Amino acid sequence: MSETFFPINDLLRRKLQTGLVIFALALCVASTLFLLLLGDKIGFGILSMAQNRLTASFVSVFSNFIIFVGFLVFLVGVVIVSFMVFVMMAQRVRDIGLMKAAGCPNDLVFGYFMNELVIVSVVGCAFGVVLGIGADYASTSLLSIIGFHAAQEPINFWVALIVFVSFLVLSLIVGAKPVLDTTQIEPTKAISPSYYYGLTKESDFKGSAKAGISFKIAMRSLFRRRSATLRIIFCLTAVFILVTVAIAGGLIADETTRSWIEKGVGRNMIMIAHRDISNQYRLLLEKFYEARDTPSLNYTDEKYQITNAILERLSLIQDVKFEARLVLEAQVEEIEGWKIDPATASTIPVGDSRRGRSLIVGVEPEKTLSEWLLDGEFLNSSQGFEAVIGDSLARGMFSEPLNQSVKVFGADFDIVGACLDPINNGRVTYVPLEDLQNVTGISACNIVLAKVEASANRENLVSQIATSVGAVDSKFEVLELNEILDNQVSFLGYIWSAIMFLPLFSLSAAALCLIGYVILSINEQRQEFGVLRAVGAQPRTVVKIVATQSLLVLASSYGAGISLGIIATLLILMPEPLVTVYSILEIAGWLLIALAVTFIFSLYPAVRFARKPILEVLSQT
Amino acid sequence: METDDVVVMASLLCKSYQMGDVKVEALKDVDFDVEKGKFVAISGASGSGKTTLLNIISGIDKPTSGAIFVYGEDLGAKDENFLASFRCNKIGFVFQSYNLVSTLTLAENVAFPMEWLRRPTEDTEKRVGYLLETVGLKHRAEHFPFQLSGGEQQRVAFARALANDPPLLLADEPTGNLDAKTSLKIIEILQKLKNDGKTVIVATHDDRILKVADQKLYLADGKLVSLDE
Repeated sequence: MSETFFPINDLLRRKLQTGLVIFALALCVASTLFLLLLGDKIGFGILSMAQNRLTASFVSVFSNFIIFVGFLVFLVGVVIVSFMVFVMMAQRVRDIGLMKAAGCPNDLVFGYFMNELVIVSVVGCAFGVVLGIGADYASTSLLSIIGFHAAQEPINFWVALIVFVSFLVLSLIVGAKPVLDTTQIEPTKAISPSYYYGLTKESDFKGSAKAGISFKIAMRSLFRRRSATLRIIFCLTAVFILVTVAIAGGLIADETTRSWIEKGVGRNMIMIAHRDISNQYRLLLEKFYEARDTPSLNYTDEKYQITNAILERLSLIQDVKFEARLVLEAQVEEIEGWKIDPATASTIPVGDSRRGRSLIVGVEPEKTLSEWLLDGEFLNSSQGFEAVIGDSLARGMFSEPLNQSVKVFGADFDIVGACLDPINNGRVTYVPLEDLQNVTGISACNIVLAKVEASANRENLVSQIATSVGAVDSKFEVLELNEILDNQVSFLGYIWSAIMFLPLFSLSAAALCLIGYVILSINEQRQEFGVLRAVGAQPRTVVKIVATQSLLVLASSYGAGISLGIIATLLILMPEPLVTVYSILEIAGWLLIALAVTFIFSLYPAVRFARKPILEVLSQT
Repeated sequence: METDDVVVMASLLCKSYQMGDVKVEALKDVDFDVEKGKFVAISGASGSGKTTLLNIISGIDKPTSGAIFVYGEDLGAKDENFLASFRCNKIGFVFQSYNLVSTLTLAENVAFPMEWLRRPTEDTEKRVGYLLETVGLKHRAEHFPFQLSGGEQQRVAFARALANDPPLLLADEPTGNLDAKTSLKIIEILQKLKNDGKTVIVATHDDRILKVADQKLYLADGKLVSLDE
């Protein structure tokens, strides 16, 4: 018996268990690797935020979410790996005892089982790397198929290597302890069923006298295997926290962020502008979901101005609200502000003199059709020289924007609010139209936004607007913003779906863990189940006992995991979450599906075991 | 196939196992009948097939060929659900290694076969009390098996086997692991069962049991070599 062949033979002898450990380990590695590769690919690395897409607030929400989910994925991976290795070694206690009783030296026994651990760990981690890369490839392909430009970039093998080595080392460390502990047990104890099955202790669970025998057996066995039971409950709790955060958080965040976008762009809006401005505006909105450069455009060119003739014709159309805007692009400059130090009551300066490019939009505050998510307040035309800046500008160029001003075309505007707007990735400054016209000397507007009343015939009215505008100047056209808005919302939806997909790996690994626990449980109750069946119990009685145990373990973990997960979601991840009845029902539905699927999978070993001949069951005890 | 007085009818029973490349024949053409109310002892050296024969009579195992009829039922042709129900109603089985359920108290160990027949709780409690009293362990009803000696566990195993008042009792080496004094108590229980009109089949090496048996079957290498009535 060599140190190479024994472990291989032993692993092959326990095919199901070996497969479970390898697959669970692989899923943990794959989920972590997929998370890192996906985060990198969709343009907002977990640690370094890329500013090519989305807006700063969205990047921040996604990053917080991914970092939290990533932390949980890794934590769950650690717990799962630790549990599976524990289960694997727990089932070898008897073998180790027999080998030691037969005279095998401690170091040789340790060597045999450490070799097993190394083989399982290396195979599991390697398989996980392949699985993680495959999942990343599939998700990128899916992204491309549904219309977003996501290139299949070369795999970052350093990331793969780091994940592989991390999990390998981790599994070896957590696995070495039970191997070492087991090899230190006296042989008489290791081979004694009393010790092995924990039969020398009275169970802490007494149970009601009226409780059924099956329930009593189920409960007392759970209490007898307290160490393994607590481990699996801890493991599943961590998984359910992750699943809750991903599903509940994902769905709530998805709805919340969609509402932010819809407010900013406006649902059912159309835009009337010169063809060039129209194209430019489209590109500026599309930057939210596709990293692209916008060509330079002279917004002040007279040919882009909305003429009075167009405005007059539009004013004749009923059931439509119009809003004229002046859109420009310019260098803006941060102006230092001040605030009062609460400790000393003295004024302290805030900010610097940073500069950057921004889209400048002049709006009529009373007439605006958009309804942004705001930090602060919106413009008030009577106050004069106020500005509301986009979230990327606020986060990237200002220290405390609401205490500062912004210089636009040489004039200072007090910042009264920061808004969430996807246009130009949030690098936008809204100022009162009149003030902008005064400082630039441009008296006209270059876009008109229109919103058709809900009760009106939208198609007819849009067609009427297009005809009216085209009759004055054929270079002016009507742009439907719904299509772009839908793309923006789909992009957000896709990212959230991808994030919600992450716990699928962990959930699968958890199901494997539970199966591992059930195998351990059945193994320890094998003699009892054999006796029950020999005395006249139906095979389904065995399944019933195991199902009860599995359900109790799942229910405990489910309750704890979901409570903690919801707290984490609402308190940590999402400011001002939008929670609707529909989202609550959807979350509840998904979480129940997760519970049901895990439970059903966990019954597989019990059903398999119940089909075994009684003699085979009894002969293995 | 049933005659009122024949409880067990074995016809050309064969049982073989494949152990790697080797075929082990545990029973070879075993043929015998057991009549109602008889005390039957199956004897033979270790590995002669005694336990295999008891397992087949109880429906725990199935013959490779031949037929086994117990109370007129062809057990070799029945499915696991029928056999479980049949064992629960008709057969009490006492294992050599007691095989009590370690998570249940003595009372619960005796009660669980009754629960499967959905007997009223009061009836079950009364019957458990009666059976534990019969085997002299009523005062330890709430103890767990690990708190008992081997002899005491064997007595509980008898009480469990009699829980549903089965007409046929099978016992595999019931005195095999016990000292002389405890063995006598077990033999007393067996005799009482015989006197109560139960059919008892015991696999044993114990001469004291062989002496009180009505019918003796001697097995050697899986073959029935003698029928001694």
